[in-house]
Amino acid sequence: MEAMGKTIVNQFKVMLLVCIITLIGQRIGYGIGIGQAIPGMIIIIFLGMVALIIKDFTPNLKFPAFAWASMIALILTMPFMPTSKLMLEYTNEVSFLGTTTPILAFAGISVGMKIARLKQLSWKLIVVAIFVFLGTFFGSAVVAQIVLKIQGLI
Amino acid sequence: MSDHHLLVTKDRIGIHAKLYITVLVIVIITELIGIHKFPVGPGTVVLLPMLYAVIIGILITPQVLGKVIKVLQKAISKDEVELAGALVMISLLPLGVKYGTLVGPAVEKIVKAGPAFLLQELGNLGTILIAFPVAILLGLKREAVGAAVSICREPTLGVIGERYGITSAEGTGVLGTYLVGTVFGTIFFGLLGGFAVITGLHPYALAMACGIGSASMMTAGSASLATVVPAMKDTILAYAATSNLLTGVTGMYSVIFLALPFTNWLYKKFQPIIERKKEAA
Repeated sequence: MEAMGKTIVNQFKVMLLVCIITLIGQRIGYGIGIGQAIPGMIIIIFLGMVALIIKDFTPNLKFPAFAWASMIALILTMPFMPTSKLMLEYTNEVSFLGTTTPILAFAGISVGMKIARLKQLSWKLIVVAIFVFLGTFFGSAVVAQIVLKIQGLI
Repeated sequence: MSDHHLLVTKDRIGIHAKLYITVLVIVIITELIGIHKFPVGPGTVVLLPMLYAVIIGILITPQVLGKVIKVLQKAISKDEVELAGALVMISLLPLGVKYGTLVGPAVEKIVKAGPAFLLQELGNLGTILIAFPVAILLGLKREAVGAAVSICREPTLGVIGERYGITSAEGTGVLGTYLVGTVFGTIFFGLLGGFAVITGLHPYALAMACGIGSASMMTAGSASLATVVPAMKDTILAYAATSNLLTGVTGMYSVIFLALPFTNWLYKKFQPIIERKKEAA
């Protein structure tokens, strides 16, 4: 239990720093004042921590914390929820794109040690991977297009 | 070391500090560069700060520019790379919340499009129809089964690893697609998302297609799509996020019950061709 408490504190520190970096980034990139975005950021940190705690308590579910965070925010912002209006008002001050930049910076650095392994890979597997990306993307897009059309939604 | 141990700050303050400062510098630089979009042929290429961020991130690591510019290794060494891996999961959470706030208000619209959401998940099997024949033509054997079975994110890696062993031919294949996706996936989908509009497929259909089971690839694809069609931005992001959530839930089962049996069946059908090729060689 104590170990878990320590983990939560450490995760909280990370969340806090990531959010500070995001606040600075979106001030530069999208002109959103830091003070103006802080209430929304506090909500985001709180829900993010809830997602992490749920994930740590349900290791067998294999449902990522990212998905928990989305689900909780989704439920709280459904139109008929009393929390919806306030939640949207505050989180609207946090830019969607602004939150993506630090993630991809971490992600880029994190794959650094995989470059050597990538170089050992046969070029054939790299070609196949590209067709996998195209196949999964356009496979879904074509099916979605047909069904949306039949439903009269597009 | 487990993720939890990597997060410990005691005696590791220096590693943490170096990594956060580096990421802050990357964020400042990339946000200063800002969003750029320009026409290429009939389509639009969208360059978002996140795209520069992932490229700069990869470049400054010890095995890339760090090998040439030794001072870079003082800031980003193996320790910082390892910590960065553990931090990706946490740094995704603000985006996760943002996605939830995009989906929540649109929930009625999404339920209405429910049949499309469910059926397009089957569209992920399109990878087998396209990539598997390519793999066979290139002369791959059982590697083809692992490589082309799906986009090979973590759940597929687990399924193939458990069934065949990660050092098997199938394992080599699945690791190949996984690795290419991990390193180049966001860049690839970030460029494809905006450019795919030229196919004439509706942006809503393309948005659903962005949900391929990786949060960062989905984000890169849908954000660049939304930049090209700004009038539909909110629905595009909400659809992509929902589709990704759905893939997260259904992905592993679809690999076990549909994709893997189907790929193995195809492999048997193709076997005479594979054998003939072997004799000719």
